[in-house]
Amino acid sequence: MRIRDISRMAWDQVKRRKVVTGLCMTGISIGCAAIIVALSVGQSAQVYVTNEVNRNFKMDEITVTPGGGLPSPGGKGGGGGSGSGVNSNLDPGKLTFQKLKIIQGLKHVVAAAPFEDNGYRQMITVDNKIADIQVIATDLRMLNKFDKSFKQGGASDIPGMVVLNYGATLGLIDIETRQNIFDRMNSDPFNQEVSSQYNNLMLIPSEMYRQQVQLQAQDYSASAPNGTGPTKLSSPLQVGGILANPPGTSDDRATYEKVMYVSLETAAQLQHELSFTDANGTVPSLEEGKYNSVTVKVDSVDNIKPLEALIQKLSLSANDNLYQQEQLKEQFDTIKMAALGIGVFILVIASISIIVAMTMSTHQRRRQIGIMKVLGANMGQIRNMFITEAALLGLLGGLLGVLFSYLIVMALNKLVGTAGEGLSFFIPLTTLPIGLSFAIMTGVLSGIYPAISASRTDALTAIKRD
Amino acid sequence: MLRVEKITHSFKTGNEWTKVLHEISFAVKQGEMVALLGSSGSGKSTLLNLMAGLMKPTDGHIFIADHDIVLMGENKLAEFRRKNIGFIFQAYELITSLTVRENVELPLVFQSVSPSIRKQKALALLEQVGLPDKADLFPSQLSGGQQQRVSIARSLITEPSVIFADEPTGNLDSKTEEEIISILLKLNQTMKTTFIVVTHEQEVAEQMQRTFSLRDGYLINGQHTDVQPAPTEEESP
Repeated sequence: MRIRDISRMAWDQVKRRKVVTGLCMTGISIGCAAIIVALSVGQSAQVYVTNEVNRNFKMDEITVTPGGGLPSPGGKGGGGGSGSGVNSNLDPGKLTFQKLKIIQGLKHVVAAAPFEDNGYRQMITVDNKIADIQVIATDLRMLNKFDKSFKQGGASDIPGMVVLNYGATLGLIDIETRQNIFDRMNSDPFNQEVSSQYNNLMLIPSEMYRQQVQLQAQDYSASAPNGTGPTKLSSPLQVGGILANPPGTSDDRATYEKVMYVSLETAAQLQHELSFTDANGTVPSLEEGKYNSVTVKVDSVDNIKPLEALIQKLSLSANDNLYQQEQLKEQFDTIKMAALGIGVFILVIASISIIVAMTMSTHQRRRQIGIMKVLGANMGQIRNMFITEAALLGLLGGLLGVLFSYLIVMALNKLVGTAGEGLSFFIPLTTLPIGLSFAIMTGVLSGIYPAISASRTDALTAIKRD
Repeated sequence: MLRVEKITHSFKTGNEWTKVLHEISFAVKQGEMVALLGSSGSGKSTLLNLMAGLMKPTDGHIFIADHDIVLMGENKLAEFRRKNIGFIFQAYELITSLTVRENVELPLVFQSVSPSIRKQKALALLEQVGLPDKADLFPSQLSGGQQQRVSIARSLITEPSVIFADEPTGNLDSKTEEEIISILLKLNQTMKTTFIVVTHEQEVAEQMQRTFSLRDGYLINGQHTDVQPAPTEEESP
């Protein structure tokens, strides 16, 4: 019997027996949609969380710091050793300009730049507004290569030019107002109105582009307890660029990340202007051409580990955040397996409905089966016809399930549209064949018993009329 | 062509066996048109089912084209039936979801014959039974006589050695009965196909070339006509 004939006869039956077809398709489509949606939600959540983690933990970045122990001679990984290929002039253990250049030249390195934390300072605007910000010294021209896009302006090498992140433009309030609110909060810590007023003020943006600002430092050393020490004010700095708020970051969250990026040259100048003498009576200064920390952006997470090994050969420490991803992967694998289990369970339930419907259908069609057997159909041909019919029901149910899953995902996206910042559900194409395969498999497996039962129908009994 | 040798058949009812056929033997030549005549309960339909391989006899042998169908397994018998036997039922037994042409083609579908050849043969046969314009209709759109003609066309499509007709006019009025019998006679003459027609009507039986009469499971005439010795086991398929 030709496949085309079997398929056509199966299709005729599927078209003809609308109620049975409808029942079976509904059951299978629910199971299939459950599998696709469960896998898709798991995948979407994984992508969302991975992106979030990537943004927050910078998965594709390596933090390089000086030292890290001298590598064992000829050892693999864990540092290369001062001997093999490492020039002794490279100043082992220190993170130098020369080593930075070598790192920048390595394969798979997108960018490498120092990101030196110069601590927190008070930023004062010309109209006497104040905010506490973190000062980071870096190569300003490399900022865009580290996923930082400019909302206004751009990077400049001119000394005294700085770049503010979006958070640094929020919540700038004048000293008197700030002091007044702090006093009220101290006197009545549980006053919701005051804390609400403070929170609202913290969200107000200020136009800072091309504005002039100054940094202020206060001596908190033992010789000047309780904030009574002298203060120092930097020379005026010009805001040459404002960074855009990263996607998915709320203003609330941005207020906690106030950063001023300065060039290494400007950082040296600020160090000189704002530092106080230490216990030995000396002013700490930045060592030119040497860094405390360099961040390396890598083209792919897969290349992180090999690059770390190379960097360690320069007798430097290299750290990443990949462990976060591994933890997440384990968690999401568990979630996906659970989701798959739920979908399969629904399909098993659906398969019972198919077995019942197909067995009923077999019983109703006994006479037809009998006629076919009398006309020469053998057991295999009858069996194949029923299994094809069941597979077709599975396929149709699966296709309906795909349609359902798209509708469900659309509804989910509408549901979380406003609340889920950056979270959008999608159906990965790989889940469609998985869902369809499960649906067809359910159809075929459910059709086996009715098919065998049909093939064993006694022709004479079937065509006998009472 | 068809040889029935000492066929005995019993049914078990409760704890007792009831013999419905008693050592029936007869032979039918190629191209003959034979009636199996008998009243209700005479065993004629049981004999027809045995000859068609739909039942196994308690004892005896049935040879069609020198093949002993009693010794065949179910799938082998299905294949044999597909190629060598045609059926005409009293209640037509057409498949209602298929068109007239598709019903006629059906036995060839089980033989994996190509659709174009099937269609060509089906249309030719429908023309022979006088239904050339009904090919695309469904059985429910036809009268009883027309449905029986479709059934006749279906039985002929595999060009079988023998066609078994079980009361082919049993559901029809006398005028249609005459039409159907004349079609069968015409086809028998033109196609030289062997027909075994089961009937309880003497008038139908009289139009056949020979008649075997059954009464209470015994063959009461023609019993010894042309019976040939049974082939040895090596000759059986």
